[in-house]
Amino acid sequence: MTQSVLEVGKSELAPEGISRVDSPEGFIAVYELDGAYYATQDGCTHARASLSEGEILEGELIECPVHGGTFHIPSGRAVGFPCKTPLRTYEVVDTGRTLLIHLERQAAATASDGETNTNGA
Amino acid sequence: MNGRKGIDPQTSCREDVALESLMDLDKGRMSRLVFQHPGLYERELERIFARCWLFVAHESQIPKAGDYVTTYMGQDNVIIVRQKDGGIKGFLNSCPHRGNKVCFADAGNARQFICNYHGWSFAIDGRLKGMHASEAFDSTGFDFEGHGLHPVARIDSYRGLVFATLDDRAPDLADYLGDMRYYLDAVFDMDDEGTEFVGGCVKSVIRCNWKLAAENFVGDALHAGWTHDSGARAMVGEGVDDLHKSPERSYQVNFNGHGWEFNQDIIGNCASLGDKELVKYLYAMQPRVAERLDDFRSRMIGSISSCTIFPNTSFLAGQNTFRTWHPRGPQEIELHVWTFVNKSAPPEIKERWRKGSMLTFSPSGVFEMDDGENWEYATRTNDGYVTRRQDLYIGLGRHTRVHDTSLPGNVYQGQVNEANQRAFYQRWLDLMGAAVWSDVPRRDVPTEAAV
Amino acid sequence: MNDNCAMADAAVDMLLHHRITQFLYREARLLDAERWGEWLALMAEDIHYWMPMPENRRRADRMKAYEAGRGALFDDGLLDLHRRVARFKQPSAWAEDPPTRHAHVVSGVEAFHAEAAGEYVVHSTFVNYRSRGERDNDFLVGRREDLLRAHANEFRLARRTIFITQSVFLAKNLNTFL
Repeated sequence: MTQSVLEVGKSELAPEGISRVDSPEGFIAVYELDGAYYATQDGCTHARASLSEGEILEGELIECPVHGGTFHIPSGRAVGFPCKTPLRTYEVVDTGRTLLIHLERQAAATASDGETNTNGA
Repeated sequence: MNGRKGIDPQTSCREDVALESLMDLDKGRMSRLVFQHPGLYERELERIFARCWLFVAHESQIPKAGDYVTTYMGQDNVIIVRQKDGGIKGFLNSCPHRGNKVCFADAGNARQFICNYHGWSFAIDGRLKGMHASEAFDSTGFDFEGHGLHPVARIDSYRGLVFATLDDRAPDLADYLGDMRYYLDAVFDMDDEGTEFVGGCVKSVIRCNWKLAAENFVGDALHAGWTHDSGARAMVGEGVDDLHKSPERSYQVNFNGHGWEFNQDIIGNCASLGDKELVKYLYAMQPRVAERLDDFRSRMIGSISSCTIFPNTSFLAGQNTFRTWHPRGPQEIELHVWTFVNKSAPPEIKERWRKGSMLTFSPSGVFEMDDGENWEYATRTNDGYVTRRQDLYIGLGRHTRVHDTSLPGNVYQGQVNEANQRAFYQRWLDLMGAAVWSDVPRRDVPTEAAV
Repeated sequence: MNDNCAMADAAVDMLLHHRITQFLYREARLLDAERWGEWLALMAEDIHYWMPMPENRRRADRMKAYEAGRGALFDDGLLDLHRRVARFKQPSAWAEDPPTRHAHVVSGVEAFHAEAAGEYVVHSTFVNYRSRGERDNDFLVGRREDLLRAHANEFRLARRTIFITQSVFLAKNLNTFL
C-alpha cells in the first residue's frame, strides 16, 4: 500500500458506529451508516474535540461531543451551530473485509456538494 | 417582661450570639433569634447545609444516563446527573471559569453541559471537555483536569431517595439516617419495587424561616385539629380527630434530629384526600407490609402523621407529598414539592395520588393554604425588637418517653407532643456548635434493629 | 399551548363576542366578591379546570414547559372545585379571616366557534391582584384558554386552562380561582 491509502480491517472497527484511526494525516473518524462507510477528519473544525467520541444523529449527522455542533457525514458539510467550516472527508472503498481510505481523495458526496468550502450556516 | 429564666434577654444583633443562650430544652423553652438573626443564618449555611446529608433527587427522576435534575443544597444550586455506569454524580451548577450558571433547565437529558458565557463544555461526569476558541488556551499551560465542575463531596441513596453532602468528612448516609431507616422502610420499602416520584415538581415561596416548616412536619400533630379544621371539613365533612384523647394509639420517634410523629390508624392521612380508592389500596397493602416488615410499621403507611429528615426535607405518608424547604435567608424558603407512589401501584391509583396530593398540599392546597400564614407571621413578628427577646414554649410532652421498648430510636407516647421538635433543635444546636463533624455529639447511636 | 384556533372555523360575530366578554367580566366580579356559590354555578358538569405549573425545559426537550400529568395548582373536576369552595366557606378557614381583597382583571378576549355547535373557544389574558393584611400583596399574570358552552341565555365553562408565567409560585397560597 502507498502512503496515500490507509487499510483498515472491519473487525478493528468499534461496534458503536464510529471509530478513530491514526494516519499520517492525523486522526480520522470512520463511520458506519446502514452498511455504508465514510471517513472524515476526527478533529472538529470549531474547537478542540474528537468527533469519534460524538453521537450519530438522524439525517446522517455527526454531533460533536463538546458543543453539540453537527456535520453531515457523507459530505463533511457543517450543519448545526457552532460549526461553520466543513470537515475534510476521505473517499472510502469497501473491499468486503477491509476498508481502503484514500487520504488524497475526498468523498464523492463532498465533490458533488455545492456548499463545500464555503462558510455555510 | 416575662422574667422566665434560662434565655438571656440581652442577646442582640451582635455578630456572636451565644449558642447556649438559645435553647433550654429541658425546661421547654427556646429563643426567637433562631428565626430572625442574620448571623445565625449564615452560620446555618456553614454548619447545617454545607455539612449534612441533603435530599437531592429520587432515583426515578433520572433513570437514563445523561438524565439530570437541578436543585439546591442550602443556597447552592446543584446538578444531579445519572452516569453511564449507572451511578449518580452531583456538581455545583456554576462554571469554574467566571462562575456563570451552567444549566438553566429544571430537568432533562444532556450529553454535555455548556456554559453560555464562553462555551466551556462539561461531560456528564463533570470533566471539562473543551471550550469555544480552545486553541487560545492551548499555549497558556491551561490545566483541563483542574477545571471540571466542582463535585459534591458524597452522594448516596436509601430506598430510592438520593442524598448528597458537601462535606467529605460527613458520616455515611446509613449512619446519618440511623434508626430512621427502620421507619422509612414502612413507606419507601412496602414491596420489592419501592417508590417513584409521579408527575412534576411544584415550587413556591413562603416568607418564613425554614425551621418553622421543618419543625411543623417533624412533630406537630397538635396544629392539625386547629389550623386544618377548614380543610378537613371541606374534604371529609368533619374536623380532624381529637388525637390527644387517645395517646396510646400514636407515637413520636426521633433520631439524630430526624423525627416522625404518627398514628397507628393506617389510613388517617390518606382519608383526607377524600378518595375511597386510595384508602382501599392502602388497606390492601397493609397486610403485605405487615408480613414483609411488621404489624407496627404496617400501620404507618398512610396514617395521620408527618416526618422530617433533618434538616429540611419532609413528607406525609398517605397524602404522599414529599418536599424540601430550601432556605433563602432567615425569613424565606423556596419549597419544592413532589408526589411519591409505589412503583407497583396501578396507573389509576398513581394518578389519583398525583391529583389528590396537589389538591391538599400545594399553594392552592386546601390544607397547605392555612399553614403559610402561620409560619410567615411566626417569622415576621420577630422583626420587633422587644418581641424577638421573648422566648418561646416548646415543652409539650416532656414526660412521655417510652424506655421499655424494642422499637429503635427515641420513642415517645402520643403524637400530640413536642418531643420531636426538642430533638430537632438539640441536633441543630449540636451542629451549630461543632466546627467539624467529629466534634458533633453522638447522642443517638444506630441500633441493630435498624440495620 | 394548544392552538385551538386550528379547530375553530371563524371568529364569533360582534354581539356574541360582547356577550362572551360580559360573561367573563361577570365571572371575575363574582370572584372579587367571594360569591363562590354563584361562581360554581357557572361551571359545566364536565368541567376540567387546569392550571399547570410550568417547568424550565430546554427548547429541544421533548417535554415542554406546560405538560399534562405534571405539577399543577388546579387539575380539577367539579367535585374538586366544590371542595375548595367548601373550605373558603368554613368559619375556621383562618387564612380567609380577615378576608383577602381581590381584583381579577380580564382582557384580550378572543372568541371562536369550536367544532361542536354552541361551543366556543375563548382566549383571554388576566391580571390577578390579592391584598391581605397590611402588606401582603400578590400579583399574578397569565393567559386562559376556555371552552364555553351556550346554556340557557348565557354560558357554562366546560374547560379552562390557565397559563401562568411563574415557575416558582411567588405567593404563600392561591386562595382564589383565576
